Amino acid sequence: MALGTRIIVPSGTELFGLGAPATRIFVIERGRIRLTLPMQVRGAQEDVLVEERSPGQTVGWSALIPPYRFTLKATAPLDTDVIAFSREDLNRFLAANPETGYAVALNLAAVIGQRLQLFQAMWLREMQRVVELSCA
Amino acid sequence: MCIGSPAKGDQPMEMFLMVVCMSLLGLGVTALAFGAATKPVEEETKPLPEQVREPIEVVVPTRFFADTPAPPLSRPRVPIEALLLQIDNHVRLEQAAAESFLESPSVALLHSRTISPLVH
Repeated sequence: MALGTRIIVPSGTELFGLGAPATRIFVIERGRIRLTLPMQVRGAQEDVLVEERSPGQTVGWSALIPPYRFTLKATAPLDTDVIAFSREDLNRFLAANPETGYAVALNLAAVIGQRLQLFQAMWLREMQRVVELSCA
Repeated sequence: MCIGSPAKGDQPMEMFLMVVCMSLLGLGVTALAFGAATKPVEEETKPLPEQVREPIEVVVPTRFFADTPAPPLSRPRVPIEALLLQIDNHVRLEQAAAESFLESPSVALLHSRTISPLVH
């Protein structure tokens, strides 16, 4: 945690935007982070919730994976504290501490894998509904 | 040859007159039937007198803006804020359902229904 910097994200403020350079990864200490994607709702672009993260969870792992661009928009629906870790500092530390690096890599794989499985299931549920509607 | 008995050439004349009489009778009956059938139609098409004629009430749905077309009879249009909240709620319910499936994968859990109003 000594590598990290505490950031206070006031309610309604954006932590990072879609497509922005991902230079830092964040661990939520307090509050909540909404991850959204833009969607056309009645002809207007609206941020639609994709996932919500709570204290102890990580957001912004795009900072560790090329092309280092955020693929979602992150906002705080209420006053939130996060610990930010810069990619450069983290890489340097993990290179110097391979055992910690291995643990972090495993955790990162778990986070990505869990999200992949989650979205796979959600996608299939939506596809099932599309099929039911088209056959109705 | 007897005086009272009809002459031999009178029989075809008798039959001819009978046919003529029957034809005239049929024609009369047909004319009467035709007259009876067409009489009410003629009366219906006659214009009503002014004092008998009453205004016809046409039921039109009331609208605040008469020029705007009536919206299609579908789901009531919810405000955008309410719709976005419904989408948020739908995503949370879907995520919870997907997490339940990942906890103990089964076909029933994969396709379990939620209470999301967006899919009902």
